[in-house]
Amino acid sequence: MTQFLDSIGYGQWILHALILLPLLGVVPVLLGPESAAKRTALAVTILEFVISAGLWWELDPSRGAFQLLSNTPWIPNWGISYRVGIDGISLFMVLLTTALMPLSVLGSWNYITRQERGFYALMLALLTGLVGVFIALDMFVFYIFFEVMLIPMYFIIGIWGGANRLYAAIKFFIYTMAGSLLMLVAIVAMVWQIQAVTGYLSFSYDHLLQNAGALGGSAPWLFAAFAIAFAIKVPIFPFHTWLPDAHVEAPTAGSVLLAGVMLKIGTYGFLRFAIPFFPQVALSPEVSRLMVILAVIGIIYGALVAMVQPDIKKLVAYSSVSHLGFVMLGIWGGTLQSVQGSLVVMISHGISTGALFLLIGMLYERRHTRLIADYGGIARVVPLFSLVLTVVALSSIGLPGLNGFVGEFLVLLGSFAAYPWATGVATTGVIFAAAYLLWALQRMIFNRLDNPENERLADLTRREVAVMLPLLVGIVWLGLYPAPVLRRMEAATERYLEVVRPHLTTPVNRVRLGATPEVGP
Amino acid sequence: MIRLDLSTPLGITIALLPEILLSFWALIVLLVVSWRHETAEDSRLAGWLSLAGVLISGAGLATLWINGASPDGLAQMVALDGFRYGMSAIVLLSTAGTILLSLGYLERERLLAPEYYALVLLAAAGMLFLAGAEDLIVLFLGLEVMSVAVYVLAGFDRRNVFSSEAALKYFLIGAFASGFLLYGIALVYGTTGTTNLSLIGAQLAGRPLPLMAALGLGLLLIGFGFKVAAVPFHMWSPDVYDGAPTPVTAFMATGVKAAAFAALVRTLLEAFPGAGDLWQPVVAAMAIASMVVGNLVALAQRSLKRMLAYSSIGHAGYLLVAVWPGSQAGAGAVLLYLLAYGLTTLATFGFLGSLGRGGERDVTLDDLSGLATSRPLFAFGLTVCMLSLLGFPGTFGFIGKWYILSAVVAEGQMILPVLLVLTSVVSAGYYLPVIMAMYMKPAPARTSHDGVRLPAGAAAAIALSVAAVLLFGFWPARMLDLAGRSGETLTQTAMPFAGP
Repeated sequence: MTQFLDSIGYGQWILHALILLPLLGVVPVLLGPESAAKRTALAVTILEFVISAGLWWELDPSRGAFQLLSNTPWIPNWGISYRVGIDGISLFMVLLTTALMPLSVLGSWNYITRQERGFYALMLALLTGLVGVFIALDMFVFYIFFEVMLIPMYFIIGIWGGANRLYAAIKFFIYTMAGSLLMLVAIVAMVWQIQAVTGYLSFSYDHLLQNAGALGGSAPWLFAAFAIAFAIKVPIFPFHTWLPDAHVEAPTAGSVLLAGVMLKIGTYGFLRFAIPFFPQVALSPEVSRLMVILAVIGIIYGALVAMVQPDIKKLVAYSSVSHLGFVMLGIWGGTLQSVQGSLVVMISHGISTGALFLLIGMLYERRHTRLIADYGGIARVVPLFSLVLTVVALSSIGLPGLNGFVGEFLVLLGSFAAYPWATGVATTGVIFAAAYLLWALQRMIFNRLDNPENERLADLTRREVAVMLPLLVGIVWLGLYPAPVLRRMEAATERYLEVVRPHLTTPVNRVRLGATPEVGP
Repeated sequence: MIRLDLSTPLGITIALLPEILLSFWALIVLLVVSWRHETAEDSRLAGWLSLAGVLISGAGLATLWINGASPDGLAQMVALDGFRYGMSAIVLLSTAGTILLSLGYLERERLLAPEYYALVLLAAAGMLFLAGAEDLIVLFLGLEVMSVAVYVLAGFDRRNVFSSEAALKYFLIGAFASGFLLYGIALVYGTTGTTNLSLIGAQLAGRPLPLMAALGLGLLLIGFGFKVAAVPFHMWSPDVYDGAPTPVTAFMATGVKAAAFAALVRTLLEAFPGAGDLWQPVVAAMAIASMVVGNLVALAQRSLKRMLAYSSIGHAGYLLVAVWPGSQAGAGAVLLYLLAYGLTTLATFGFLGSLGRGGERDVTLDDLSGLATSRPLFAFGLTVCMLSLLGFPGTFGFIGKWYILSAVVAEGQMILPVLLVLTSVVSAGYYLPVIMAMYMKPAPARTSHDGVRLPAGAAAAIALSVAAVLLFGFWPARMLDLAGRSGETLTQTAMPFAGP
């Protein structure tokens, strides 16, 4: 495979192609006939996934540094370049994005019935933004992708969303923008301060990372600005209030991408920028304690609130708050296991929650209600749907053998030494997750079939099976054999830990931990 | 590089080429319309003629700029540097845009008095003088020429009480502001014995500012505060912006503002570079007040024009943030932001102008509902404008804001940038609903947007502006360099005299 990729010069063009292809795809979608829009978009997103899949082989898993680097000057006198590159951490974020996108398009097939051209054009634009965020290695370019991505999502929620969509759209936009603008000030301040020390004006990630130690007294403020931007995006309790609104009001595809990919930009931002730039602040005892407490509150609070939701979509939305809490806990756990666990939770949450939102969307298309109380006993009417829903729910709960387990287990294992109490409390979150999802399952697909409207529900169509099948494969594969994934992240994670390790305060982290643990059979 | 000796008639004539050409052309237009001022045809003729005048003046400006004309020795009366050329270019762009927007608007509103265009040209000539003034007297003359013409333009819709109110209000407040400015000039002259900005700077260098000069500086700041509509001197601007004919509002928001800021920056940087301790807190206070008040009050507006008036106060606040450091980078940021803001605002008011239907006063958000379905390009253009005003990446407005942030952050100041971005977030609260109304709300009736017409001239001006906003949003490198270089020229000429 690598030979084939080399023969077509894959490494030279792939990252640019990933950014450009969806943008070029916008043109035929907008100019073509309304009915062809979804097919064009599907073709483009599948092509995007296929070409991105080569990255799996192209990336050298033994190297932790960025690979496939390229650098084109953009605003030369300001030290701004179009710098892109990828490592074992961003690889999976990119693959997750490109994999979820065709499924979202396919999942929107019948859900989106008006202004289809606009919708699919925005989806493609969003794809560019999402991929760009994960491969940008210039702070200016990163910021642009980070912000520009808001626009398509804002329209997707605002035009094709539910009843309360305008409120949700503007709340989503303003929350995210407030955080990111503070981050912009921090970026500019950081660049100028480093310029004052090194005499070299550059927005390059590597340059800033190498010289971030020179920031001195302003580092806490800069970290705070970065942290707020990413905390809103994750979202960490108490910045989460935009999330239920946005997730619930967004159309299926919007929810899938919001939960599946966009939330990960926050945690990715912590891993890539906020912590490595300012490890002395981020990993100081005070900040660590605060972040771990907030993460645990998020885990428990998200789970408890999810439990009482009458609306299944809102339930899943709050469950995201809980799952992302695990990611944050793992990041601050600071061991190889916990950080890798965080990365795996990011991936598997993307798959499981994406799948849940897709299933809810399918149900909504049939019955136009998302209230759990309106269902009951539908397993007899739609057995296939119920089977898939059960598997996906179990994976989200973290049943061993499915994907959810691997990540959360690694996070808990890796964080326990540093934060035994917090990890102990967080473990109950797994139990709560079982409670809210299983209880919802029971009320929806088991119990008695008491609503006559549910008697004629149609089971999954072939298209819907095609949407779910890749996700199910991912769920089982990641659950049973995560080793190839873990192996590819390891070097990059190790490199991240090398940057932050000197600043870790807990004793256990001074110990060099062994190789990736074997999880699953 | 040509060097002009400004003490010779030839030298000063060449140095004033754009101003002279434009004033001359304004007189020609006045002459032409004195016997052709009846029909729509005449109005159009005057319009195109004026546009030609702007182009000719622009050619004069380009000649000076490309040849890098600079003064041989002291710049007397008028500056010859990149900052002036940049500002003059913005003024001329704004004038050309205003003329193009007016062509269709005047016909629709039955304002068929072609003297309008002569006034626009005269105002533009005043702005050019104001933007290039190296001497407080020239500055004052330019300001008055500009203001008097704009007072009349604001009240040009004579049958409309709001327009008349706007003119009267603008005139009274403007006269008041001129009084402050003139008194300030007198006090500064009394202290230093000169009205030349560089010489004032040289006189005042190296010693604490005498009380009289400090008073003069304060009065000058008040006068400029009125002209740029900074809080607390902003009270007139919502009513005037709202009442004036829409193209005139665009002219005020872009041209008048640019010229006034040019004069403010030049005065502060050349005449009072050593008195930063005195004026920086004042500028910072005005900036903060303008950003906060402008953006918060804009949230509560129903009429779009009024909303933009308050938002324009907010933008004046952002510009004052760029003035605050008193650095060359700050001057470059003012220049770039004025260009970005000017292009965007012209297009925005162009859109607004086409929405009002003959004589109807307020365009509200509801009038935009569902516009995206019936007028997709219109909606797209206005969306770009709103995002640019919001300072969203991918638009020129973002580059402008980013430059301001850089210029201020480079000085180690953090409070102003943070307030700038926070108030920008607030501004999303009123810019986004515009986009929302167009894309996310249904049109009240199928035919509700049938009256929306963009005449060819306005459409061209808007399309070019929107294209430029996007283009410079993605490829800002050259514009940034140009603005940076122009900003750097600002105090270079004054350098030899700045020593103690």
